[in-house]
Parts: sequence; structure tokens; C-alpha cells
Amino acid sequence: MSRSLSDHLRVVRRIARWEVGRSAGTIDRRTAAFALVALLLAGGVASTGALAGGVALDRDIYRVGVSPESPYYDAIASSPALDARPPTVDRADVDLYVGDGYIVADDSQKSRAALAELNDAVRRYNTGAMLAEENRTAAFPVVVSLEYVQRGASIPAGATTGASAESSSGTAGESESGRTGSAGSDDGDAAGPTPDSSRSAGDGSDDGDAADRDDDSLSVPTLGGINPFGSESTGSPADISPPFPFASLVLAFAFLVPMNFVVQAYGGTMLNERINRRGELLLVAPVSPGDIVAGKTLPYLTALVGLTAVVAVAVGGGVVSVAAVLPIGLVFLGATFVGAMFARSFKELTFLTVAISVFLTSYTFVPAIFTQVTPIALISPLTLVVRDLSGAGVSLGEFLFSTGPFFLCAVVLFALGSGVYREEDMFTQRSVPLKFLDALDAHVSRPRDVALVSLLSIPFVFVAELLAIAVLFVLPVELTVPVLLLLVALVEEAAKSLHVFAAFEKGRFARTTRTALLLGALSGLGFFVGEKFTAVAQVVGLPELTLGQAALGPSGVGIGVFSAAGLLLAPLALHVVTAGISAVGAARGRRWYALSFLVAVAVHTAYNLTVVSVLG
Amino acid sequence: MADPRLTIAKRELSSLSREKTIVLILVLQLFVAAFSSFLVVGLVSLYDPGQTASYEVDVAIAGDATDELVAAANEVTGVDPHVYPDEATATSAFERPTQTGIDAVLVGESRDGRVYVSAAVPDSNVQTTVVVVQLREVLQHLERAEREDRSAWLETRPVDVPPETSSSPYYGFTYTVLVPLLCFLPVFISGSLTVDALSEERERGTLELLRVAPVSLREIVDGKLLAAVVLAPAQAALWMTLLSLDGTRIANPVSVVVLVGALSLLVCSLAATVALVSPERRTAQFLYSVGVLFVFGGTTLVPNNPVNTVARLAIGSTDATAAFVVAAYAVVGVGVYVALRSLVGDVDANAL
Repeated sequence: MSRSLSDHLRVVRRIARWEVGRSAGTIDRRTAAFALVALLLAGGVASTGALAGGVALDRDIYRVGVSPESPYYDAIASSPALDARPPTVDRADVDLYVGDGYIVADDSQKSRAALAELNDAVRRYNTGAMLAEENRTAAFPVVVSLEYVQRGASIPAGATTGASAESSSGTAGESESGRTGSAGSDDGDAAGPTPDSSRSAGDGSDDGDAADRDDDSLSVPTLGGINPFGSESTGSPADISPPFPFASLVLAFAFLVPMNFVVQAYGGTMLNERINRRGELLLVAPVSPGDIVAGKTLPYLTALVGLTAVVAVAVGGGVVSVAAVLPIGLVFLGATFVGAMFARSFKELTFLTVAISVFLTSYTFVPAIFTQVTPIALISPLTLVVRDLSGAGVSLGEFLFSTGPFFLCAVVLFALGSGVYREEDMFTQRSVPLKFLDALDAHVSRPRDVALVSLLSIPFVFVAELLAIAVLFVLPVELTVPVLLLLVALVEEAAKSLHVFAAFEKGRFARTTRTALLLGALSGLGFFVGEKFTAVAQVVGLPELTLGQAALGPSGVGIGVFSAAGLLLAPLALHVVTAGISAVGAARGRRWYALSFLVAVAVHTAYNLTVVSVLG
Repeated sequence: MADPRLTIAKRELSSLSREKTIVLILVLQLFVAAFSSFLVVGLVSLYDPGQTASYEVDVAIAGDATDELVAAANEVTGVDPHVYPDEATATSAFERPTQTGIDAVLVGESRDGRVYVSAAVPDSNVQTTVVVVQLREVLQHLERAEREDRSAWLETRPVDVPPETSSSPYYGFTYTVLVPLLCFLPVFISGSLTVDALSEERERGTLELLRVAPVSLREIVDGKLLAAVVLAPAQAALWMTLLSLDGTRIANPVSVVVLVGALSLLVCSLAATVALVSPERRTAQFLYSVGVLFVFGGTTLVPNNPVNTVARLAIGSTDATAAFVVAAYAVVGVGVYVALRSLVGDVDANAL
């Protein structure tokens, strides 16, 4: 039955409307009343707490014996973490003892921590006391004006293919020293303002032209406009508050926490279809499973986009921010959909959702810390948000590199889930790994499908390899390259062989060596073609990093020396051979598959090591 | 015949282990704890670079207050002062970091009885924080020395700062964040399990079958609650054992487990109430998570809140009120449970 696009759209719209209506129906008056009660209760708790003196998780954790006459008493009493006890207390019952002109601390960790806390408390107290002084010049003899200067962008704004060996060695050196100096700043074409723009010779503190000048405090806003580094300000040394370097963490939570609520509801509604065969009614209707899934997803996707837009406006982001966060939301929905298709019970779904959420949060957050340090940061779309908010430009190539894998992953996840959106899978109870094999098998009915599934696995392989690079990035290069090569081989071999194994287990193909070799060759071919798309990594200069070379080099990406046709085809031969090895094992059953998989990984790793050492 | 409540609780626990959910729960907790430790240790070492000690901040110093600035910089470990003849040369050195290694510029001018320092630091995320922290340290030393010179004009003398120590900043974090996190995550998870366990029976219609057996609705709810409630203190005990094997001493483990048990009873009873009164599992989970997030977040503002109580019990800084506070939480927990029981009595089981 072939229907026009408008028919599909009509069906999708109708299902979406029905989904919205049904969900709205469950929020009855009673639920609303309960939500209100919960909110009022929370508000009440919070306001009594605020009256009682603000958040202090470390309230009274260190006990200090001190007499009220001691000059330190007021400082101790004003510090929440220090608990002032009378000097008559047993010395064993306190962590610090402040006597007349001496302080007793024993050698325990706790005692030293208490002393450090006392040190901070006294400094704070002194600053407070000085504020009350008449003579301002004597009380605050030092006036500091702090300026944040951009010393040339460390990530070149455009494509870096023209960069010479000097630049790549500079990048490798940086990873060791933590420096962000860049060799490219002389060109003057870097994104930021030039260092001299706001500097007048001899006198940095009295020219009143800085826009964000605030004479009372030097505190750099931690999240005022996300870019905590934009302004210059003046005050006493105690007013300096170092910028919070993990703006991306706050972003990750600002964007992802609201998403969790939407996704929780979405997972619930999908699993609901599978309970008591409720979804069967919809399945027998003259609509395709794809339409049902699209229709049921649409309202939640709309909610996600709306929430993202609200958050983006709240933190001061623009269209780029919303466009960068959208693919994260899509992957979140896609993964939850697959989770809801696999889960056996609500409990299992709850934890699958939490696991997905934790993984996505860390995957998007950790690389974004290094926004200004290394191009690896771009594997997280949040990096785009950080750069959008700080006013740095985002090129189209960077945007595609960052969001592309996420978009493709989302598409593949939905395809995977829709494959099992059918009666025989929805209403049976199997463990999650078996369901996963079923879902893979659902897409393999003819030998050439094997090649297609291999090709579709590329976004996941790419994401996994990027994650490995990001995790191993901090370790020394000699150690990480072999580990990385092994990981790459593991991920790629799994991507090439799991669906072949699933198809054999389901009895889709005859278990002969000839078939196995054919399937292996097709799988290798599909993977080889897909791998060529990873060339997008070149756009952001990732291959210039040593680890980037290790991960992407063996597949022929970004390596100019592969001019001979034979060498160009070497990766193809590799993928065909290793996929063939594991396919032959897969045809004989689970044990043989495990064994042949290990052989394939070993061959792959050996090949990678050879290529890297020859090139290096 | 065994108590039906125990039978139901055992069935709940066995379904958790069959689905490997319990493994996933433990792995997730470990991951969250490791992740937050990684974050905080990273953060703390940034804000207190003396801890890592490997990173030297090279500061270019110029201007007529150079001597005072150099003296102050020498007081701070990890700061390396370089004197330049004037601001222009210092600035140009700062702008060529690859050749000079200069991380920051301090230009001091004495004027009107004060020292005016203009500082320039690089604008690059993590490094900026390290440099600014070190500069602040230098400038505070300078301020203290200058104040000392002007003490004749001050009414109150500043209190002497106690000696610096090499204390691990990780110490405070372990007790105020890590231990409470590992104690309360299981509690929230148990609450979520209670919601799922009850609403699942309702949605699948199996509650009806269960009621055909010679058990009352009250016993069913009790059994499910029992399984969820005991899980949390068991996990808290496990984490504390692991922490003490790792060298983190927990001062009052028994009191902490009792407190976690009391809160677990409280949260799970609330979760069961939410599951019984909400029309659907989605609504129940939503209400539960919003409620827990806001109410628990709100309590951190109150003295003797659960997080702070666990921190003080674990670090061993309790006073006479500690036992009273734990008992109070237990009383509240039992109170909510009793309220739940009376609610279950009122619920028309056939309408579920």
C-alpha cells in the first residue's frame, strides 16, 4: 500500500493530537492539586531555610575549643563550618584548640582541614572588620583592576588544513603543559578582540571607558552571560573571585535536567503501548508503525524544542544554541524509545532512562570543559553553545562535525526501535540483550542489508571512538595510542559483526561457510563506505592531534600519503577480512562467534599498529 | 505459612535481581560518585593550585611598586616573579607566551597613599582560574604587608592569620558531599522503585489477581514497601564499608544507617501514597520526582537537614542533639507510614 506524503503527515498529526489529548486527560484536578501541594511544601521548606541562613552543607563539621574573649572567637562564630565550643571542653572532643596566643592542632587530617578552614575564616573576618574602618586608604591600601585578555584564539577560527607541522606539534605540546598559547595569533585574524584594544599606556585603573566597570566588587559573574571573562573590574584583593571554569557543567544541567522530565513521560507512554497489548489496537489500524512512532514522538519533541528555547533565552543564547542542543534531545528521545521497546517493566525502564541520562550528561559535559583548549571539545554540541554564548563564531564545518553524529545516531536509534515496533516483539518478554539482537535482525532480511546495517553503525562507532579519544586525551601519548587502537578495533569489529551474528541466530541465512564469507565481505564493504564519511573530522583539524591520527589514520582519513591505489584499498581489504573471520564464527554458534571475534580484533589491532608506526 | 508480606517482598527483590536492575543501580551510583569526585577534585585543585604544585605561574612585574610585589610573590609557592623595566615590555612579553612563558602581568603604581595594581590574565577557561587564584594570593599578601605599614591609622588591628597547612581539600568534600550522596541516592531510587512496583501492578491489572489471593491490599503495599525500604540502608552500609576500606573513616556508621533507614521509610511511604492516588504511572513518577527534587533540595537550607546530619555523623563532629535528630527523623518516617496505612484502608481496592 503506497500512500502519498500528505497522507502520512495527516496520520502523524492525528496520532500526535490523540497523544496530547490523552496525556492532558491524565492530569486531572487531583493531580494538579497534588503538584500544587508539593510546590507549596517545597516553597515553605525553602523559605524557612532561607530565614535560617542559607545553604551550608558543611555546617558545624569542625569543632573548635575557644574562649569568648579570644580575638579569634568572632571569626570562628561567623564561619558556618566551625563549631565554637567552650574552652573547658575535653581536648579530645575538639579538632582545634585556640588558646591565648597559641593554636593546638593534632596531626590528623581532620585537624589540618579545620585549621585550613580557620585560616579562611580569619581572612574573611579581617576583610569584614576593615570595611568598618574610617580610614579607607589604610584599611584597603591595595586597589586591583583585573583585566581578562584574549591572547589569540587557541582554536583557529577556520579550517586548519593549511596548518603546518609546527602547528600540530604545538598542539601536542599543549596537552602536556596545559598552556593555550597558539602559534597562529600573529596573523591577527583570530576571532577575539586584539589584546591592546582596551589598554591605555601607564594607567589601567582610572580610565572610565570599560563598560562593565563595577567599583564595589571584583567578582566576575559566574554565569551572568556565561562568558565570565568578558569584563574588567576594580576592587580590593579579597574581592577577586576566580571565574568558574565549568560554565559547561551549568549548561549541561540547565539544558538536560528539564529534558529528563519530558523523556520520562515519553518513555512511559511508549512502554504503556506494550502493556496488556494496548498498542495492538493501533497496530491493526491502517497506519504504518513508522507513522505511529512519529505521531507519538512529535508532541514530546515539540515540548523539548520549546523547553530548550526557553532555557536558551534564559542563559542568553541564540539560534545556534537551540540548534546545537536539539540533536542531544533527539538522541535522548531515540535512546529512550529503544529503551522502552526493550524494557520488561517500568522498573527496568526507569533505570535504562537514568543510565541514558547519566551517559548523555557526561558525554556532553566533559569535552565542553576544554572548549578553548583543544578541538576535541567539539565532539560535544555543548561546546557550540559555550562558544555561541561567549560570542565566538561557529563555522558550518564545526557545527556539522559536532551535531552530525548526534543527528545520525538519533535516526539510527529510531530506525532500530521502529524495527521492533511490531506485534511479535512488542508483547513478548525477553532480556534486553536478546531484544537488541532481535532489533538488529529486524533490519536484516537480505544479504545486502548486512552492508547497509554496517554502514548505519558508523555514527555510533564515530561517537564511541571520539569518546575514547576524549577520555584518553589526558594520559601520555605512548600509553594511550596502543590502548586506543585496541578500543577502536573492538568497537569496529563489534559494529561489523553483531548484526551478522543476530541474523544467523535467527536462522535468517543458511549456516554455511560460503554464506558467512559473503556476508562478511558485504559487512566490510558497507563499513568501508560509511567510514569515508568520517572525513568530516578533518574540517576541525582533529587528525592533527596524535590521538586523532591514531584513531582515524588507519582508515585512511586525513592522510595524504595514501596516494597509491593499493594503499587506498588496504582498509577495505582489512574490513572484509576481519568481518569475514567473525562471520564464519558467527555461523557456527555463540562460542565460535566469541572466539572468532577476538581473532578479528587481534588482526585489526595488529593492522592499526602497523599503519600507525609506518606513518609515524 | 509464611507471612504474605515477606513473600511479596521476596518476590519484589528477586525480580530486581532477575532483571539485573540492581546491578545497574549500583553501577550508576558508582559512576555518579566517581564523576562528582572527578569534578570536585578537579575544581578544588584549580582553586587551590598549591595542592598540585606542579604548575608554576610566571608573573611579569613592572611599575614603581615592583619591590613590594616581588616580595609578596616570593611568599606564595607556585608563583615565579619576573621583573620588567616598564609596562610596555611586560605586556609584550605577556603577549608572546610561547617564547617568554609569562602567564600574567602585574603593574603596581603607588599614588595617594595606596598601591594601584593593574593585573592582566589570559582569557582561557581553566588556566584563567589557576592564574587568578594565584594572583589573588599574591595580592592578599601585598595587602597584608601594606596594612601592617599603615596600622597606626587603623582603629582595630587585623587578627593574625593562623599558619597555613597542607590539608587535603578533598577531605571536606568526602564527608559533606560524597558520603551524603552515596547515602541518599539509594533512598531516592527506592522511592522510585516503590512507585514503579505499585503502579505497574495497577496498569497491568495484576493487582486484581493478587487480591484474589488471601492477602489484603494493606499487606501487598506493606510487602512492596518492605522490599524497597530495606534496600536503601543496605546499600548505604555497603558504600560505607567500601569507603572505610578505602581509608575514609566513618565515625558513627550505625547512626548513619538508622538515619538512612528512617528517611527511606519516609520517602518510600510518600512514594506509595503518590502511586495510590495518581491515576497513572507517568503522573506518579512525575509527582514523585518533582516532589523529591524540590522538597529535598529545600531542606538543605534548614539546620540539621539530612545532608548535614549525615556529614556530621560521618565526620564525627556530633553533639548531644545528634541522637535526638536521628530519632526525630525516625518518628516522622513512622508517622508518614502510619498515615499511608490509614490511607490504604480508605482506598477502594476495586477502583484501582
